[in-house]
Amino acid sequence: MVEAAAAFVAWLGASVVVLSDGRRGLALGVALGAAGIAVIALDVAGPIAAGSIALGGLVAAAGRLGSGREGWHIMPAGSTPRLVLCIAAGLLALWVAAGVATGPGAPLRFTAMVVIGLSGARVLGGEDAPVLFTATGLLALSVALAAGTGLNAPEPWPFLAAAILAGSIAWISPRPVRAA
Amino acid sequence: MQPEAVELIVLAAAALAFAVAFSPRAASRRELLGKGSVGIVGAAAIAAVPTFDLALFVVLALGVVHSVVEGKRPLALRLRGPVVAVTLLALGAVFARVQGPDVLERLAAVGIVAGLAAAVGVLPYLHPIDPEEQLTSSPVVWLAFVGPVLAAVIVERAQSLLPVDAAGAFGALLIGLGLVNVVWGGAAAWLTESEAAAWRYSFVADWGLVLCGLGLIVADGQRAAILVLFSIVLCRLPLCLVSLEAPREKAVTRRPVNLVVAAALAGSAPFAGFAARLLLLRAATQLFWPLAVVLAAGMLLWLPGSLRLGRSLGLPKGRQAVGVALVLAVNVAVGLYPLPLLLAAHL
Repeated sequence: MVEAAAAFVAWLGASVVVLSDGRRGLALGVALGAAGIAVIALDVAGPIAAGSIALGGLVAAAGRLGSGREGWHIMPAGSTPRLVLCIAAGLLALWVAAGVATGPGAPLRFTAMVVIGLSGARVLGGEDAPVLFTATGLLALSVALAAGTGLNAPEPWPFLAAAILAGSIAWISPRPVRAA
Repeated sequence: MQPEAVELIVLAAAALAFAVAFSPRAASRRELLGKGSVGIVGAAAIAAVPTFDLALFVVLALGVVHSVVEGKRPLALRLRGPVVAVTLLALGAVFARVQGPDVLERLAAVGIVAGLAAAVGVLPYLHPIDPEEQLTSSPVVWLAFVGPVLAAVIVERAQSLLPVDAAGAFGALLIGLGLVNVVWGGAAAWLTESEAAAWRYSFVADWGLVLCGLGLIVADGQRAAILVLFSIVLCRLPLCLVSLEAPREKAVTRRPVNLVVAAALAGSAPFAGFAARLLLLRAATQLFWPLAVVLAAGMLLWLPGSLRLGRSLGLPKGRQAVGVALVLAVNVAVGLYPLPLLLAAHL
């Protein structure tokens, strides 16, 4: 039950990242996503992995609060397609994780698939650097979960690597593109 | 580290040394050395990490670093390729590991092949290019510098990741995607207007052969793939660099050197590309002979594009002429006697 709730929180976090354009919304999304992933990671790979993900998510959220568009900007005008994407991705991932795939660990499968998919989709649809880097950081955290899928006792290294990557990416300030 | 990856890292380092030594401007040399070294370290890290998943983190980190270096394309365009690649590869890994019906295994093969295509920047995930952009920040980095190592690592690790039943689908997808890239890349390198785009499509066509070679499970296919990768890193990339770095010296276009360069780019005898094509055709014949017919027809598409690209070098002078001569000599040597290269890759 706890894992199912954590999977829902992770989906919610990824959805907030997809639906937000402001720094507070993006920070909230990555924090929620990391919290959900950390709880799943605690069950799958132990406290070191979970702690790494939680810390990486916190650092990423803090970094995002420092740059980007002011405010929340959650579900701005014209974001209906993004909302549909979040719901459809959630339903599809739920069907594959719980209906098509077999064996234990459905919350892990659902979280890995939906957060990876939504983060990748956000980068495809985004233009602003803060949005892109937030989604990339969340993608890194979710790739660690992919490493834990199907393994009995996954190593903590992917989770540590994911945390370092997500925490670092959020603090990058790219130089503006020079006009041709 | 797997031997093919080590060999490709060494080849990439040699290509970097070539670029630094024969680049016409001192400022460009320093920049090439700095950024190229980062690329070499990244490629080495991809090969050195022990698991598929850690390799994905390295690709993601490298993609982020490459997207923030100074360049003319928007950040979103530069970041998209690596992120889509990691997304697809990670989804492929998830599908490969979960229990369930066979369709999940096939989806895993699709995810990994599509992710590889997105990472390298071949069809259907061509990275947008800007003709004015420097080589270090352009998609050529993924096509010709980091991409070969990445492909060797991904394909080798995917074979252990995927269940046995999905290995056939994986190979078939690689061959199918390879054929599409051969035809599209060959035709586009000939017909496109922009010279930079023509070079990019010529890399794509070469990658088509690589994908076909990797998909053919016989040893000759793997040998062909490593030889084409050699030809990408130590023939096409240096010649592309010479062509793009010397835009003002292209008044003379139909000298013998242009024909020789075109022959090297087209994979004619006695250059390395010829040996690769022979091995590829032999591998295809062993598996399914009509595939060899299709490949042979596709290989003809290299000729017009290569003649065009050969002319784009103009008449190399001084330092660049020495560089072109060196590239041609190395490719003739490998074309005539490819055994050391293949033995170093344990093939």
